Formats: sequence, structure tokens, C-alpha cells
Amino acid sequence: MATTTATITLSSTDLLSNELALSTTATLTQAGNSTGLTGTTGLARKTTATVAPYTLYHADDYTTTKAHKMYLKNTSTTATYYYDIGIGIVGNSTSIGRLYAGDWAFIPWLATDGTKEVFTITLSGTWATADTLTFDGVTISPTNTAHADTAAVIRATYYPNWVVSGSGSDAIFTARRARSDQEIDVGEWTLVDAGGSDAAIAVATTTEGLADPKNIIITPGGSSTNSVTLEHMLLTDE
Amino acid sequence: MATTTAAVTLSSDLLSDNMSVSASTTCMKAGTTADGLDQIEYGYIDVVTGDQFDLLGADDDDGTPVAGVMASKANKVYIKNHSTDETYYVSIMIDAQDIGRLYGGDWMFIPWNATTDDKDIEITASGGTNKIEYALFHQGKTLVAS
Repeated sequence: MATTTATITLSSTDLLSNELALSTTATLTQAGNSTGLTGTTGLARKTTATVAPYTLYHADDYTTTKAHKMYLKNTSTTATYYYDIGIGIVGNSTSIGRLYAGDWAFIPWLATDGTKEVFTITLSGTWATADTLTFDGVTISPTNTAHADTAAVIRATYYPNWVVSGSGSDAIFTARRARSDQEIDVGEWTLVDAGGSDAAIAVATTTEGLADPKNIIITPGGSSTNSVTLEHMLLTDE
Repeated sequence: MATTTAAVTLSSDLLSDNMSVSASTTCMKAGTTADGLDQIEYGYIDVVTGDQFDLLGADDDDGTPVAGVMASKANKVYIKNHSTDETYYVSIMIDAQDIGRLYGGDWMFIPWNATTDDKDIEITASGGTNKIEYALFHQGKTLVAS
């Protein structure tokens, strides 16, 4: 088991009458047990050159209600340059606070998922091995005429923006990330009925996606033109 | 001016190469390099389960917002969960947004931008009574006359 420790030291000789010398070390463990955290994004840097907000970490990419920890540092040396650290989505986030030049933060993160779009595709008609079905940039072909087998091919295929489950002649697509602009219908699919038969699909939405994940949003401030760099690392409980 | 230094070291054998990340900052007032944060609130409390509490209020006891002087500043908040039971945790929220959980032994050090009087730092205990140490470093807020 990996051991990850985080030590903080807060010190001041002149803030109080008595010297402030606070130091503590946490061994970072998974939620509710003593097993060490097992994942990390590694240390990275993000440079921004405008005041536009940016999604640093997507909540949907991580398991929610865990003991994730996030390290952030504003590497700027210009005192007025800061990053506003927020939680939510770009354009609708709650500010946690500002990291000014040189400041760092160590923040627990719940990574609350958003509401992901879910729809079901159902096969009907007569399918042939020459037929093709394209969605999300991925094309599949039946291995035989059985609906269940074709649906199994769909379920076994990797789609960049969707996770597929289901059984029988159905394939249930769940978005990898919560968005509010994914209204999927038959029009998003391309069915080439090369066999000249009456292959068909039906698409039914079961959950409308919402833009409500609790992502980590960074927004540079203090300069609209100069680049600022944020050092960051996520330690994950997956 | 007061000089308060906050330093962190993260060490791990998670990766093939040992990881050691260190950072240190002198806690300054917003946008300055010569004037340190000079005020502190520091405490240690038991947080019982069953309710969500304001650990640090963005408004005063009578509801007067202090956000006006706490907003857009370089305030820093330190919270440590001293609980020894690994299943105990406190949830940290700001303005009804669930930020994350501090399990027994965990600590956090975050900036706090009390832009409005609903930006309290709220805390909810789970598992049992959690023992919480906290400190707010700031550059001033308005006291309410009694």
C-alpha cells in the first residue's frame, strides 16, 4: 500500500503575543478506512493567458463521496495576480477563494457528479452483416442477423463520450460527463442499410442531462493579458 | 505587519519515483508583497452530528454581513479533524456547495472569499462527534457594536 503524507506548518513570531508554531501531518487514506490513497494525476501546471474560467478537474471523471485531496499553487510572482478557485461549472460556479501569487491550498474534494444523459437504443427490422451503424464517431457492423448479437457488439464497443450497458436487443448509453446539450435522437445515428432490408433503430431518452457537476473551476484575475501558471495535483481515492 | 508563513510538504511512494512536493508562502494581504495578514480567529470545538453549523460566518451574529470587508481578499482557513476514528468525517460546505470531506486526521488549508453573507464555511459531522481545530487568517472585518 502506498503511503502519502501531507504536512502543514503554520508559523508566526509576531501575529500573537505567543509564537504561533502549528505543525501537523496527515497520512492520506481512503474514505472511512486506513488504506492509503491509490491514485494521483501527478504534479502538473496549467498556464492561462486570459481571464476566462477553465475547468481544472471534471467531477464526472472521479468517484464521488470519497477522500480526494487537491493541491494548488499560484506560481506567479506578481502580487496582484490571482486565481479564483471555484466549484461548479464554467459560468456558474461558487467561489471558494482566491490564491494570490505564491499562495498554495490543500483542499478536500467530493467530486459530486452531475446528471448524465441516458438513452436506450433498440434494434428492429431485419439486419444484415453489410449494414453499418455510426454514432459518436464510431461505426459498428452486425456479425449476424440477430438483434441481440448486434446489440452485444454495440455494448462491447468503446464510445469516446458514452458508456454502454444493457442486455438483449437494447443498449443503454450513459454520458461520460454531465451536460445539458446532449439531446440524442435517431438523427445523431447514421444507419447504412446496405443489405437493403428494413434495419431500423429507435432511440428513447430516459434521463435528461444537466450541467450540474461540481467541477473545479479556476479563473485568473488581476491581469487580462499576462500569463499566470497554476501548479496542481489531485490525489485520488478510487 | 505580522509575518505568518504557511508551508506544506506532500510525500508519497505512489509513483515509481518518490514524490516530494513542498511549497511555502508568506500570507499577505490581497495584492501586496509587503503587508502580511495580521488578524486571526483560532479555535477548537466538538461538532456533534445531526445539524449543519456555521464554523466561520460570513455574517455577524446579528446577521450583519461582514462580506464587504472579507470579500475579494486573501483570507486563509485552516481546518483539522482531530477525530481518531477513521470512519468519522466532517463535510465542508460553502454556500450550500459541498466542497469535500475531512476524515479523522485530515486537514485542509484553503483560501476563502466571503463575497456575500451566505458564503459561510459550514460544517456537518458524520459518524459521531468530531473534534475540529480551525484558524482563519484575515486582514480585518467589521465588528458589530453591542
